[in-house]
Order: sequence, then C-alpha cells, then structure tokens
Amino acid sequence: MGIRLLMYLAVILLGTLIGARAKINKRLSGRLGSIQTACLLLLLLVMGIKIGMDKDVIDSFFSIGYSAIIISIFTVGFSILGVKLVSGYVTGGKS
Amino acid sequence: MTGKIIGAVVAGVILGFFILPGWVLDYTDMIIDIGLMLLLFFVGIDIGINRSVFGRIRNMGLRIVLIPVMIIGGSILGAGLAGLILGMPLNEAGAVGAGLGWYTLSSILMANYSNELSTLAFLANVVREMLAFIIIPIVAKKMGFFSAIGPAGATSMDTALPVIAKATDSETAIIAFISGAICTFSVPILVPLILNL
Repeated sequence: MGIRLLMYLAVILLGTLIGARAKINKRLSGRLGSIQTACLLLLLLVMGIKIGMDKDVIDSFFSIGYSAIIISIFTVGFSILGVKLVSGYVTGGKS
Repeated sequence: MTGKIIGAVVAGVILGFFILPGWVLDYTDMIIDIGLMLLLFFVGIDIGINRSVFGRIRNMGLRIVLIPVMIIGGSILGAGLAGLILGMPLNEAGAVGAGLGWYTLSSILMANYSNELSTLAFLANVVREMLAFIIIPIVAKKMGFFSAIGPAGATSMDTALPVIAKATDSETAIIAFISGAICTFSVPILVPLILNL
C-alpha cells in the first residue's frame, strides 16, 4: 500500500506542477472539467462492472446484504456527523 | 452529478452481471488503475491552478488530523450501533466499521476469525464505497465540503478522491487525500485490535 500511496502522490504532484506552470485559460479549464467528468463516469462504470461480475459479492448480497447496508449506512452517517462536528474548528471558524 | 454517478455504477453492475463475458474481469483492474491515475493527475492540475490553497492548509496545521480521527471514530461507533440493531457482538460490528471502506484488506484481516464475518466485512465496505460515490455530491452541497470527506473513509485517498475533488474544491481534495492516507494506515492496526477486544 505504501508504494501505491507514493504513486498516487507522485501523479498528483506531477499534475500540480503542470497546473502551476501552464497558462490554462477558462476555455481549456472548462474542457479539462468535461474530460475529468467523462473519466470519472467511465471509472465508476468499470467499478460497477467489476462488482457485477464478482459472483461472490452478488451471492453474498442476497444473503447478508441487509446487514451490510445497515452497517454501511451507520458508518457513513456517523463519519459525516463526526467531521461536521470538527470542521468549524479545523478551518478556524472560516467555513 | 449524483444522478450520473448512480447511473454509471448501476449500468456497470447490470453490464457486468448480465451482459459482459467473464474475460472482461481480467482487464477491469488495469482499466481502473489507468483511469484513477488520470483522474488523480487532473486533481493535481486543479490544485496547481489554485496554489493559494497551500497557505490556507498550512494555517490549519495539525488540526487537519481531527478529520480522519472523527471518520475513524464515527465509523466504529456507527458500526457498533448498527451491530446492536442487528444483534451482532460489538467487537465484530466495530471491526467491520474499522475497515473504513477498504474491503479487500478488512475481509482478509477477518478471514482467520470467521468466514461469515469476513464476507460481511467485504460486502459492508463495498456498499460503503458505492454509497460514498452517490452521497458525496449531496453532502458537499447540503453539509459543507469537509463533511463530504466523511463517507469515503480510506478511499478518499484513491477511488473516491476524484468524486470529492469534483464535488468540492482543491483545498478539500488535498485534505481528503491526507485523511484517506491516515485512514488507510490505521485499518490494519484497528481491525485486529477491535476484533480481539
């Protein structure tokens, strides 16, 4: 995981350097946004395909899906509340 | 954006389950890796254009760490409460929550403890990731940008980062990456620890 983290960091840093140096006008920035959205939707589509093709996930969803959904709703809900609770302090009251 | 996200994920699941042949699965990980790298590169470009975010993040200092701490605490507490409703032992439910969306590792860490719990950890964390994709744009709009980091857990460092970056701003994207990295490193420590309580 450490190597993967470094890889992600390197790619983000490369993008940051290019973004900081290149003169990107509003038209190009808008086009980048559209490409970004298209890539994001393609990524989510492929992730959906991966889940749909995983027989173990689909089979277990029918048997323990209810418990998994309840647990994930509670974990997500309490994570959001937790962050909301401290976000004002983290930003120094500027959010 | 939420409608498009739901549409893409649901279309993918339907395609994968009903239509596409089995060999496609051999290439999904590679496509996901390439797509993710490309999206993270775009996140970097956004950050580079808005360089002023670094100053604001420096001003927040170590307080940023509170965000992953609350995500970890909220996930374990939430899973514990869900466990009470489902009649599960608290340590088992808490350990599933401590997976923080990293479904492969959390299920492996529980495999020696119980196969059933390992499957539940896998599925609950897959559902968490999918749920995160869907609600991040809504949470960002209704509850603020920082709150949108919460649903993603460990995945705010990778797969959910492009969704967070799209729904929020460069400042939140950087904090989401830091938060995801801290959550990621805490999963292999917390899951066995809570399981053995």
